[in-house]
Amino acid sequence: MKKLAALLLALLMALSLTACSGKDEQAEKLDLSAASWDQIVDAAKGTTVTFYGWGGDEDRNNWLANVGAPYMKEHYGITLEVVGMNIDEILAKLAGEKEAGAAAGSIDMIWINGENFYSAKENGLLYGAFLDKLPNTEAYIDTQDPETLNDFCMPIEGYEAPYGRAQLVLFNDSAVTPEAPSSAQELLSYCRQYPGKVTYPALPDFTGSAFVRNIIYELCGWEQFQTMEADYETVKEAIAPALDYLRSLNPYLWNEGRTFPDSSTTVDAMFTDGELVLAMSYSPYGVAVGIENGVYTPTTRTFLFENGTIGNTNYMSIAFNSPNPAGALVVINAMISAGLQLSQYEKLRNLPVVSPEKLSAGEKAAFEAVDMGEGILTQEELLTHRLPEMPAKLVPVIEEIWLNEVVGK
Amino acid sequence: MRKKRTACLLLLPLFAAAALSLLACGSVLAQSLGVIPAFGLEEPTLDYYRDALTSPAFHSALLVSLRVALLSALAAALLGTVLCAALVRVCRARGAMVSLIRLPILVPHTVTALFAILLLSQTGLVSRCAWALGLIDDPGQFPQLLFTPGCGGTILAYLWKEVPFVAYFTLALMAGVSATLGEAAENLGASPLRSFLTVTLPLSLPAVSQAFLIIFLFAFGGYELPLLLGATVPKALPVYAHLAYMHPDLRQRPAAMALYGVILLLSAAMAALYGLLTRRLLRKIGGGR
Repeated sequence: MKKLAALLLALLMALSLTACSGKDEQAEKLDLSAASWDQIVDAAKGTTVTFYGWGGDEDRNNWLANVGAPYMKEHYGITLEVVGMNIDEILAKLAGEKEAGAAAGSIDMIWINGENFYSAKENGLLYGAFLDKLPNTEAYIDTQDPETLNDFCMPIEGYEAPYGRAQLVLFNDSAVTPEAPSSAQELLSYCRQYPGKVTYPALPDFTGSAFVRNIIYELCGWEQFQTMEADYETVKEAIAPALDYLRSLNPYLWNEGRTFPDSSTTVDAMFTDGELVLAMSYSPYGVAVGIENGVYTPTTRTFLFENGTIGNTNYMSIAFNSPNPAGALVVINAMISAGLQLSQYEKLRNLPVVSPEKLSAGEKAAFEAVDMGEGILTQEELLTHRLPEMPAKLVPVIEEIWLNEVVGK
Repeated sequence: MRKKRTACLLLLPLFAAAALSLLACGSVLAQSLGVIPAFGLEEPTLDYYRDALTSPAFHSALLVSLRVALLSALAAALLGTVLCAALVRVCRARGAMVSLIRLPILVPHTVTALFAILLLSQTGLVSRCAWALGLIDDPGQFPQLLFTPGCGGTILAYLWKEVPFVAYFTLALMAGVSATLGEAAENLGASPLRSFLTVTLPLSLPAVSQAFLIIFLFAFGGYELPLLLGATVPKALPVYAHLAYMHPDLRQRPAAMALYGVILLLSAAMAALYGLLTRRLLRKIGGGR
């Protein structure tokens, strides 16, 4: 019912926005597809850009408030308003606005990727192709990189610009468990050795879902999934060995695999509490940050599977009814510059999206000079063990199969 | 006349809110029939209801919700009545004790869930005390109370909140009955227990059964506690419905809305039952108007 209230509110807001959008429209008469970059920057001056995205990462929120927003104000006279909201709620809000037929919405930029990008693009909730328009695409981004071309196998076609990169890593405390399992088989014997002390977040948690996909890659390879149909039975047959494996893992897991923790945050808390001996993360440098903050012991270390782990990019896109697309373009362009990517690398330990080949010698040196901290893998180790994502539409199917075939079995 | 007009004016916001929620219910039902023109879904169909009602996951979710609702409402009604009787007996329904039992009622459900996790999880306070006393040597040995398919944790958390609720809800009526008819019975020679069982309790039953139905309805549609304290599978119906609502494919929205539709219809049926029962009970004790 809360959702419903949110939808209704969104509807009301959409209505009220249409009522007062006259002024914005005048400022927005500029035809973006024909305008030059200078004209776009001019039009964006003095405007406000709203950036909607997941607000659960305090460090990123602080970075946006203390580095990102002041940068936009100083260089472009743009006020960046960051709104923390879960992606499903953002899409529900956009869908509500679309249903209400609101011409000018309330969202400019969205932090998005994967199945949500797939759904938003399929349902016409995005602004359209804009990547080519940005000068920094040419200057810093490898436009032939698979992750610039496809997001979870969905052709991007310029509908979103890369923001940061993630990769699944495992970590444990070498003082508690000297072993660092580097394959699915080693993980099984590890779980046998520490019964009840290993688990993973219940799907559809992002990290738990990526972990299960990674197990599937370990046992079934990754190539066959790139073109697979999102049909329940087809997928179930293809991942049968992985399902067997996950079921064989269950007796040795926390609570014997009858229940799984609700989120990666919970798994993390259980790991720091000593209730678990292994945890996993989508932030490959997260352990370094944790050691610095005293959350993890100094002997905590990151590792991954020999055959590689899943990596994906997260992106910035523009809403179909963005009241200020010119402003959004300017902000996104700034976000993919070497300067702000370096700042994110430094402050957030975020894998950057800029292509090393396109960086100047000075910029390259600045990236290399960053002290990344303890307990982590090098960027090279990560990137050489990086596997592509599955097609977005397979993800919910696998999540459903996992619920039916693995939990408590 | 003027009084009437003022009353109507004052009620306007209520009417507006009611109209808005009716509109929302209508929109849920329309979407559950597969009508969302914005996503190119225009043909009304009952397929989504058929799919929902025949899916095993839906059956287990429904069972979980009914189980949680029934067990917590029954236990809360029982224990709440005992607590209420004790309060009436010991402190005549007044004083610090009564204020104390209001506390759990005021605590939000999410906070209650947090309490439960902090206290009862395998690394919670109780488990740590047991470890310090040498009763267990590993968190894994502490019985798993939360996150179990039997929903023990969810029910316990509901009880912590709802036992005081039943007591508080029944207190005024029971105190009144006890002070008048109950004492009269005792003056005529009935033992306190007999006076309670044959006079006070039957006359307080309308309040107890109302409290029971309120809790049942609330727990049946409750989201927070089963989400935070429930098992991975089976999920409670509202949690299951929300998960379906979160499905990234927006064209799956009608499937989720069909689940909400089922919850809506069941809740409406139970609310109607509640109205019927209350009226009958009131008439039985001669209080109906």
